[in-house]
Amino acid sequence: MLTFINESTDPFYNQAFEEFVFENYAEDDVFYLWQNRPAIVVGCYQNICREVNVHALRRRGVPVVRRMTGGGTVYHDLGNVNYSFMLCADGPLDYDHFLDPVIAALNRMGIPAHKNRSCDIAIGDKKISGSAQKAAGGRILHHGTLLFESDLASLDAFTAHAKNDAFQTKGTLSAICTVTNIRDHLSEPMTIADFRSRLLAEVLPANHVCVELTDEQRAQVRKLRNEKYRSWDWIWGKTPTFSYERAGSFAGHPLRVAYKAKKGVLCDACIESPVIDAYLAASLMNGSRLDPDGFAKICFVLAGSRAEELLELLM
Amino acid sequence: MEKKITMPRLRPEMENGVLCAWLKEEGDAVQAGEPLYEIETDKVVNQIEATESGVLKKQLCEEGDTVDVESPVAIFEVRA
Repeated sequence: MLTFINESTDPFYNQAFEEFVFENYAEDDVFYLWQNRPAIVVGCYQNICREVNVHALRRRGVPVVRRMTGGGTVYHDLGNVNYSFMLCADGPLDYDHFLDPVIAALNRMGIPAHKNRSCDIAIGDKKISGSAQKAAGGRILHHGTLLFESDLASLDAFTAHAKNDAFQTKGTLSAICTVTNIRDHLSEPMTIADFRSRLLAEVLPANHVCVELTDEQRAQVRKLRNEKYRSWDWIWGKTPTFSYERAGSFAGHPLRVAYKAKKGVLCDACIESPVIDAYLAASLMNGSRLDPDGFAKICFVLAGSRAEELLELLM
Repeated sequence: MEKKITMPRLRPEMENGVLCAWLKEEGDAVQAGEPLYEIETDKVVNQIEATESGVLKKQLCEEGDTVDVESPVAIFEVRA
């Protein structure tokens, strides 16, 4: 089994790193740990606007990253530790195949963790870890989060309470779970660095090999990051087809907005409001790309100093 | 020879899957082993590969559709 050293906390780089290892070490079993600075990470086929509060994220400058596995939305920060498992397998493998060694390792570290639902790990009835998978080319990637000392207030603010039902959408919906940090359940104190190194030692077999990517390989990871994981096509263009409709109040008048989007490109857009030029709104919105910054520019043209107020109604 | 490609049963308990993405368009030539489409079930994105070489004649469902196991998803012209 190989383990990789990846000290980057760039959430886009780390998705690219994982894909690079998955594609380029196709003969090997892999287990490694990694961490992201604050970011929202959504499943491969999720509607970002439906799952998270894009306005709160935009104000706080927290990026949204789309990963290549299925499942729901998670919040990452430096209090969270991620693990990635990669194995060769002809068919699908049970979640237990990957969860069991992680749970056993946590238990040996004195953490009373157990499996919950099909692919979560919990302490008591509170979730500490969620996981998801991708199966391709005879290989399986299984990765998961481990909340050690995450900012649970931010997690809550960006995700759980922010469902936006104005989006009628296909795509994967996230489950809402009560969560807890591992640190609050330790019998003796442990730093997150200790937690990482002990977990790694507990999971890896004695004959593992430790790999650090070469400068050239890291350049390839950065290229994948820039061309795929940071691209509009991947982050927003993979949004499942949806329609949006909302009625509200803008500048003291009633407003109704509706649009559709396929592959992240808008059509059938319409804003009805006595204080907004409907023709201009439709012409700016139709054909535009789903993207909070792009929407903010459109709102500025339509509403000037009231752009933020309008934006809140548009997505 | 034309044949129908159906939603595979990846696990014994699987009843349906979401066809999330077509990786080939109608009319595309496909080699055996090349990925044809992706399905998501139970938080797993599965890339489904063509088992034979040929042409993807028709996609029978749209991206995002939930399809029952063994229901057809595509018509595939197998190269003789």
